[in-house]
Amino acid sequence: MGSWLDYTINGLIIGNIYALVAVGLALIFGVSHLINFAHGSVYAVGAYVGWACFTYLNLPLPLTALVVIMVCGGLGVLIERLGLRPLAGAPRIAPLLATIGISLVIDQVLQILFTPDPRALPSPLPEWRITIGSGTIGALDVLIAATGLVSAVVLYGFLRFTRLGWAVRATAQDRDAARQVGVDTDAVNRAVFAIASALGGLSGLLVGMYFNHIDPAMSFQATLKGVVAQVIGGMGNVPGAVAGSLLLGLTESWGVALFGSSYRNLFSFVLLLLILVLRPNGLFASARTTPPEPMTGTFIAPSRVVRVPPWAVGLAVAAAICVPLIPAIPYVLQVLTNAWLMAMLAISLTLVAGTLGQVSLGHAALLLLGAYASALLTLDSGWPVWLSVPTAGVLTAVIGTALVAPAFRLRSHYVSIATLGIGEIVSLVILNWESLTRGPMGVTNIPPLAIGGLELDSPQASYWSSLAVLIVLAGLQLRLLRSHLGRTFRAIRDDDVAARAYGVSLDRYKGIGFAFAGFGAGMSGAIAAHLYSYINNETFTSTVSITALTMVILGGMGNVLGGILGAVALTALPELFRGTAEYRMLIYGVVLLLLIRFRPQGVLGTV
Amino acid sequence: MVLSRRLLLAAATASLPLGRAIAAEPILAGVSGPLTGPNAQYGAQWKRGFDLALDQINGAGGVKGRPVAYVFEDSQADPRQAVAVAQKFVADPKIIIELGDFASPASMAASPIYQRAKLVQFGFTNSHPDFTKGGDHMWSNSTNQAEEQPHLAEFAAKLGFRRPAVLHLNTDWGRTAKDAFLKAAPGLGLEVTTAEGYLPAEQDFRPTLVRARDSKPDGLVLLSYYADGALICRQAHDTGLALPMLTATSTYSPKFIELGGAGVEGAYVLSTFFPGDPRPEVQSFVAAYRAKYSQEPDSFSAGAFDTMMLFATLCDHYGPTREAMQAGLLDIKDMPSVIYGKVTFNPETRRVQGANYRLLRVKNGSFTVWDGVKAA
Repeated sequence: MGSWLDYTINGLIIGNIYALVAVGLALIFGVSHLINFAHGSVYAVGAYVGWACFTYLNLPLPLTALVVIMVCGGLGVLIERLGLRPLAGAPRIAPLLATIGISLVIDQVLQILFTPDPRALPSPLPEWRITIGSGTIGALDVLIAATGLVSAVVLYGFLRFTRLGWAVRATAQDRDAARQVGVDTDAVNRAVFAIASALGGLSGLLVGMYFNHIDPAMSFQATLKGVVAQVIGGMGNVPGAVAGSLLLGLTESWGVALFGSSYRNLFSFVLLLLILVLRPNGLFASARTTPPEPMTGTFIAPSRVVRVPPWAVGLAVAAAICVPLIPAIPYVLQVLTNAWLMAMLAISLTLVAGTLGQVSLGHAALLLLGAYASALLTLDSGWPVWLSVPTAGVLTAVIGTALVAPAFRLRSHYVSIATLGIGEIVSLVILNWESLTRGPMGVTNIPPLAIGGLELDSPQASYWSSLAVLIVLAGLQLRLLRSHLGRTFRAIRDDDVAARAYGVSLDRYKGIGFAFAGFGAGMSGAIAAHLYSYINNETFTSTVSITALTMVILGGMGNVLGGILGAVALTALPELFRGTAEYRMLIYGVVLLLLIRFRPQGVLGTV
Repeated sequence: MVLSRRLLLAAATASLPLGRAIAAEPILAGVSGPLTGPNAQYGAQWKRGFDLALDQINGAGGVKGRPVAYVFEDSQADPRQAVAVAQKFVADPKIIIELGDFASPASMAASPIYQRAKLVQFGFTNSHPDFTKGGDHMWSNSTNQAEEQPHLAEFAAKLGFRRPAVLHLNTDWGRTAKDAFLKAAPGLGLEVTTAEGYLPAEQDFRPTLVRARDSKPDGLVLLSYYADGALICRQAHDTGLALPMLTATSTYSPKFIELGGAGVEGAYVLSTFFPGDPRPEVQSFVAAYRAKYSQEPDSFSAGAFDTMMLFATLCDHYGPTREAMQAGLLDIKDMPSVIYGKVTFNPETRRVQGANYRLLRVKNGSFTVWDGVKAA
């Protein structure tokens, strides 16, 4: 029984740490309806600034904290001014992507400046500890808890009782109306970003001290846990974010107690899904909260679609088919094969995110499902590859749709977060379900692509088979978009209430959309498995989901040709910048930001 | 045209003292590894090891009058990029060996391409037991878990552990290590109380430690890398868990002490590489490394250094061609090494046996050789 006390205390301690990040995320979401993916990067900057203050300037902790707050607050203002304000009139997904781009850039700059090695950030606090249960807590634990609670209380008071706080809330409720009554919404946004980022930087410093470990990769994990925590507490609800974080910490700790560490994040994400499905506005939301607005739909910026003439498409297809005839370019073929595989994922995602309006952040899970399905069918059941690949597509469609079905009732950002969670759950189940998936050892000796006795393992054959599947899938999808199904999908995206009023069964059409998308993505994963011959749960990570979404937006939401173009561009870009090694992800991030800034509706326009 | 350019180059460099070595076409190794992304720190360590080796090789006039060099292509340890890099390397006849990639999903995804092109893929950090089974051109001098773990278990027994609890990374590496440890333990009188796998991105180990503690062990065995190993030791220290810690060779790094602070004081670390090792290979490597980088080497940079030296030796003894690399690895015997005493590859497994294992202990913030006093 004594151990349960320990688990509880440990859960609260880590919950405290999540709370520091979640509060800032909640504040920004509350005002901008934006999941700020750059928040984790600001947090990492805070840790590094703190490290520099300790190491080079020998500053005491309070002064260091002050420097961190000022630098990160300034960084927040900069992010708002350069990255987000110019996008005020853009589709609402654009700022979300901009934060992803900013995060890439900041993380890379940190890595170049400070090297990727982890560094120690020793806490200058006195070494006293109090024994509670059979564990102890120290000065830093208390300081972290105090910072989290005090900032939540102060922010709550600020929002409730000060004039600027009222302006923030007015802006949060209705930006245009707030402007009409004279609120300077730009100033409000600036203030919010400054406060949230200052807090984010401070949390980076404190958490870095807690673990005595900072590295440039710390930002993504922080964002992930922060997002989960604030969903539990209610998106945009500042005190709720603290409570949500503590609950998340407790769930993880108790989860580890019951099932072991390897299941740890599984509990976070299962809790996330339960909350999303049962209480989508968070545990602490009042019943009066208005439902979220769709993220693409009604507010989508109308853009003129670039009409690509059929002869140009035909020409491009013909050119693509002829590429392998050029001798001795296996590297180019491999890059393009990767591009075709990513294009299958991109058009699958563009269907659900663009046409159907359900922005998925967990699309890589479909690749994993397809890859494992086909690999295990050939190895364990002895199926021929030509049969297992399409079957993997069908299995992915069925399993993927079943997994995402509980999220059909969600709207807006909640769909994105739910799919993010489902993606992580799939990866963790694959890791832990050893009897089926071979766990962390992965699946080895997957046979190459083959039809009958004909092995398709040369670069040319891999290229042509991927391209052929892509052409068929793209053709089917273009046909689908012109049918009544396509019209219904767009109706659901544009106004799901109106669509329902016309008698459209939302769940059924979302199911059809996800099934079609799952089939394409599953095929892509399956082909990749046979090309690589080895897969494990880390072969397709959440980064792939983000990359796929970037491709979709680059090409234009819902636009099939755009998705393919985006996939080719974003697969080729990092390869082109290969010569610059350490700098290439930085360049990639900057290019991404420029595209979002100057062509947010995508290169070929939103369909 | 080509001829005149070559003439021009020769003319321009003839006046330099090292003219011939510089003008000659370099012998190239292709390196596929992470320079960006979550594993970038390991790629950075590789580079330090490679560059140090190349300083020595090329400083001594290169191999047969030609300088040795490498082309480092960033794969982010991502399979998609690793296969593209593989195609690039196999298509480039100047590249005669490939080194890397870092993680198994990336390395093993690229293996079929190297195998088909008969280009040696030398995965010097790939301990996945199936890596060298990808084809007869897959080689590795990574320490082998089937060999290392019995040593670790033996030291656990020598330290007086009877009932150790095992914490391991739940990756292909950690899993292989754990299975090998559990296999070796009973024969040495060890009864493993629990084996807890944790996720690679994990930072909070408090609940895991409570779980381990409740199995009533008399010591903790960590099959971790240095960053997570340091976190575990620190949190064990912070929660007042007073158990002796024994860690695998992968935790040997100056960073382990830097990140672990007071938490790693007293920890027992198994190592194949130790700067205090009196062998001349080790001493010259450590001195050169400190002089060049003003920091302490770790086992990743030592492995990279060994690998580049091996490459230069292969070129020197067997000739700078792809076929010679394969033939040389089959044939080479007793190659001096920092990690191993002498390197000889087993032609069946294409791996190396016989690393030097010694037990270190962290004392007053530095690694010292274990004094033979039991822990419990």
